[in-house]
Amino acid sequence: MPAARSLWSRLHLRERIRDRDTAVYGVLLIVALVWPMATIFATGDTFLTSQAAHAGTWVLLAVGLNVVVGFAGLLDLGYAAFFAIGAYSYALFASFQLASSPLHHAYHLPFWLMLFVGMFVAAAFGAILGFPTLRLRGDYLAIVTLGFGEIVPQLFLNLDQWTGGINAIGSIDQPSLPAWITGPWAGANDIAIVRDFNFSFDPVAYYVLIVILIIGAVILVNNLHRSRLGRAWMAIREDEVAAAAMGINTVTTKLLAFAIGASFSGFAGAYYGASFGLVSPDSFLFVVSVTVLVMVVLGGMGNIAGVIIGAIAIYFLLNSVLSSLPANLQSLSNAIGLGWLNNSNGAWPGLSELAQRLQFLLYGLILVLMMLLRPQGIFPSRIREQELKHAVATEEETVVEQAHAS
Amino acid sequence: MALLELRGVDAFYGRIQALRGVSIDVGQGEVVALIGSNGAGKTTTLRTISGLMHPTTGTISFNDRDITRVGPDKIVGLGICQSPEGRRLFPRMSVNDNLMMGAFTRTDRPGIASDIERVFVLFPRLRERRNQIAGTLSGGEQQMLAMGRALMARPKLLMLDEPSLGLAPILVETIFSIVREINSQGTPVLLVEQNAHKALEVAHRAYVLETGVIVQTGTGKELLESADVQKAYLGM
Repeated sequence: MPAARSLWSRLHLRERIRDRDTAVYGVLLIVALVWPMATIFATGDTFLTSQAAHAGTWVLLAVGLNVVVGFAGLLDLGYAAFFAIGAYSYALFASFQLASSPLHHAYHLPFWLMLFVGMFVAAAFGAILGFPTLRLRGDYLAIVTLGFGEIVPQLFLNLDQWTGGINAIGSIDQPSLPAWITGPWAGANDIAIVRDFNFSFDPVAYYVLIVILIIGAVILVNNLHRSRLGRAWMAIREDEVAAAAMGINTVTTKLLAFAIGASFSGFAGAYYGASFGLVSPDSFLFVVSVTVLVMVVLGGMGNIAGVIIGAIAIYFLLNSVLSSLPANLQSLSNAIGLGWLNNSNGAWPGLSELAQRLQFLLYGLILVLMMLLRPQGIFPSRIREQELKHAVATEEETVVEQAHAS
Repeated sequence: MALLELRGVDAFYGRIQALRGVSIDVGQGEVVALIGSNGAGKTTTLRTISGLMHPTTGTISFNDRDITRVGPDKIVGLGICQSPEGRRLFPRMSVNDNLMMGAFTRTDRPGIASDIERVFVLFPRLRERRNQIAGTLSGGEQQMLAMGRALMARPKLLMLDEPSLGLAPILVETIFSIVREINSQGTPVLLVEQNAHKALEVAHRAYVLETGVIVQTGTGKELLESADVQKAYLGM
């Protein structure tokens, strides 16, 4: 069929499929579309959809941190701070919280506006953090960002007349669609994703929202990566002095990395506040920053598709595999006739209790093994792949050169 | 009026004075060499010109414009480009991408393409290896790439820091003949070298730097024949 073949070649489908990242994006997109239908059909409830929506928050965070760590090579250990700033921006201006603050007036700004406000506020704080740290490199920069990550949740905890401190901010507004965006997805019928224009606590609505946000973020970051700014980041990551010698303004470029990276976190924060309905200072601790960093490194630093996979994999590992391990082990041992393993006896705490205790040891072991077996990450960026491939060759050549020189 | 003028430049690393009253001129179309031993302040001089450091006293002007306190990115924009000490390539980028980084300040795509071609004519080895990762090139090829990358900015003044460092004698020969070639195409060159003999052969004029002070100056030929220089730097 010549017509079909020409269409085939015109689409360059074969080349595109051969391109690994495009294939990953394609698979992700198809899974994202099918996921809610398939899981609701299979399990009869929306639990898996809401879990996927929650995982989406982490994907957004990882995509944002990848700009700072993967593209510009600046190690940020306080990334959760920007997440907190985004979440609190939304929580304060879309709940009754400010009524009990010295302001005595509650604001209920629309989610869609606050999504962008959260983004800009986080970006501004990213720049504020970036400014004094620009002279620092490597380890020193990491320590300062670590400090920032500790300070921000403490502030939200201690400014309790504004933020409610340890009591957290609850009953945060749900997003609602403006009435003019009508269609089969809104309204009161059965297939509506957003019933009566209000997201309420419907997991499917949040799922659709986060998927759209992620697609937007990925397109944006992909374009940034290919832009002049993206090349400048790459140059700075490789060699800052050489980058300056090429005429790159290293100060602005690094500030932009911090600000843009932070803005995705602010974005994710606003979404998180809306979907969870509760923002509390202890949701933004150091462990959040580290988990996002693990997602980025494990997925493949610098490669967006890899980072998305890394985020999903780590989320799945932490929230599904490891958390259900005790129960699964218990039923497994019961099923194969080793039920006595479940009873605690002297020093033996029982199988499920043991698994419970060892959860994070297992998590650590899995991370160590992953890094030993695949240091470049699941889907590394091409540059890192080549670097690891050529590392041996370079060493050999250096030895040869040194032999010639002496 | 010379293209580049340093007048009484003092520069410090913390409290250690690295340059004392250095005055240097580079004119249109010249190759000027800066020779001296390790730690004499040759690289510091280049760093103050390219804006990576700023002098505490003294002035630097380029094309009749004061650039004493201008930042490094602006300096490149003004047309001073250097191949830094130790080459400083982007080791994980390909040869092509390194050259493209050299043209970072430019936006004229056809001009960039024709300049890449020009670099490949100067350095045929780079054309053969255009898709190879820079970190895997040999020392000589890396030096060629560093020079080619600096040329991609279409510099009005090219500064080369120790281009012969660590290269085999035959490659040193090649590198210096290329310096001459670049200069004959109209680009003035400020050359910092420890290989005084080679540098003085190529240079129209040269300065001898000792512990941050210019102790001698003259044409390349004069210095090659000077007894002091011969004793101190040429091992005669």
